[in-house]
Amino acid sequence: MNLKEIIEIVDGTLLNPQVDTNIEIRGGIGADLMSDVLAASQPDAILMTGLTNPQVVRTAQMADIRAIVFVRGKQPQEQTLAIATQENIPLITSPCGMFEGCGRLHETGLPSFESNVPSD
Amino acid sequence: MDKPMNLQQIIEQLDLTVLTEPRDFSAIEATGGYTSDLLSCVMAGAKSGYLWMTLQAHMNIVAVAALLEVAAVVITENAQPDQATIDKANQQGVILLSTPCPNFEIDGRLWEMGVKKA
Amino acid sequence: MCPPTKPQTEQEIYGRRGRTITDRDAHDISRVEELSYDLKVHEVMSTELRTASPDMPLSEVLEIMRIHRISGVPVVENDEMVGIVSLEDVVHALYKGNLDVPVSACMTREVVTIANYESVVKAIETFSLTRLGRLPVVDENNKLVGMITKGDITRGILIALQKDYQDEEVRRYRASHLFEDIISDRTTLVLRYNIKARDFNHGGNASSNIKRALMRLGADPQITRRCGIAVYEAEMNLIIHTNNGGILKLEVEPHRITMSTVDDGPGIPDITQALQPGYSTATEQVREMGFGAGMGLVNMKRCVDTMELESTVGKGTKLVMRILVPNETLTGHSHG
Repeated sequence: MNLKEIIEIVDGTLLNPQVDTNIEIRGGIGADLMSDVLAASQPDAILMTGLTNPQVVRTAQMADIRAIVFVRGKQPQEQTLAIATQENIPLITSPCGMFEGCGRLHETGLPSFESNVPSD
Repeated sequence: MDKPMNLQQIIEQLDLTVLTEPRDFSAIEATGGYTSDLLSCVMAGAKSGYLWMTLQAHMNIVAVAALLEVAAVVITENAQPDQATIDKANQQGVILLSTPCPNFEIDGRLWEMGVKKA
Repeated sequence: MCPPTKPQTEQEIYGRRGRTITDRDAHDISRVEELSYDLKVHEVMSTELRTASPDMPLSEVLEIMRIHRISGVPVVENDEMVGIVSLEDVVHALYKGNLDVPVSACMTREVVTIANYESVVKAIETFSLTRLGRLPVVDENNKLVGMITKGDITRGILIALQKDYQDEEVRRYRASHLFEDIISDRTTLVLRYNIKARDFNHGGNASSNIKRALMRLGADPQITRRCGIAVYEAEMNLIIHTNNGGILKLEVEPHRITMSTVDDGPGIPDITQALQPGYSTATEQVREMGFGAGMGLVNMKRCVDTMELESTVGKGTKLVMRILVPNETLTGHSHG
């Protein structure tokens, strides 16, 4: 699914328009525990989270997550935005909560990209 | 939204494991859902009667769930609370359920079953 | 009365494409600027000269312009440039209804030229000062050697930028062949990072640099990802748990990657317990930052091939993780 479609589905706003948003997202993850994301995610997913600190971006970068959606209209910290822009990771804020955001995306066919069974 | 789903239906349809003492789950309705692993967010956003989905399995979730009077806590990805946490949940009347699904998946399935935000 | 001030266009206010200029843009712009100083006129000019003689009828010049799609022709007599005739001059003559006159009758005699050894930026300045569309290029003996247009400059700069890009490719290629190019009995690349305790804002910077280095070295994406995750968890542990931070070290060899951390305390009282999934000593504050769920060490262990953890309470902790590189992919054999 194209990132632009996802932004529409979650009524999102792109926070760093400088980055490349013409990217394919293959799955979804909803988590606030970064170790969980690091432990169990597959590459090329979008992350929905309530965390807004720079660690979210670093985690995304390490786990090859392509974009981050902040739930409940949260705005990232300044440094988070700066790092994301530098690392070319789109940041999106959505009025949806994590439950609703994941629900809407799952409903349109985006699979879960978190597995409790290690993929590698 | 139609009549809220009750816990019995949800447990059956999603094949959830009940970690706390059994009781009449058909009498408990889930009026909505809230997913977060951050206790402060849950305190701010989850309402009484909601299902709370989280990967957190440590003791602190019980206190928060009791305080908010959520319908049940659904612990995702088979995260396993220790016995002390389960005991405390039983004491405080908090229902702990468990699923191998991650947050994203369980949210999606609940959403499609009609558990939306109230 | 003065004409009204022209309102600034959006482009003038916001820069290119109607948006704020980012660091990346600034870098690109300054590179173009740099190139316009570096590049010389003779490097971008066109040397395929179409010239006219003073006694050539204008109709013939028009034919040259039409065939070669050019809008200005230098006029040469006895190997010396005596003028230039532009499309404008021809149109002017056409307006008077006379294309039979010789070139010398309507050419411009005061020709603005540019020297071939000047930098491109000088040509740009001349274009903007004179509002001319093309300039004859002359050598140090004032002999005509070529023509330059704004299009030639754009093309020249684009080609130079393309070459920059290829140079970056070459650098990447060289990095990925480091282990082939440097011959020794045992080559090891060591990267060291000092990690400060409680420096959450910079947490992950070292890991980010490590991941980038591995990509440049041409490591397999799967291996790069595993290293990135393991080293990031280790970096966060130094930030969250240590008294005084510690040192994070990456050692790259053709057949394996070793990641290690050392710190001077507080030390782990029970390593077996620390390795239990879910066991954590992190504060609620750290949990609220998304860490300290007791998954870090478990995670690291899962990502690497071997992990050794030694700790003494009051002394400190030493962690060594290794990932074996199959078929020595870092030598570039399967990625060259």
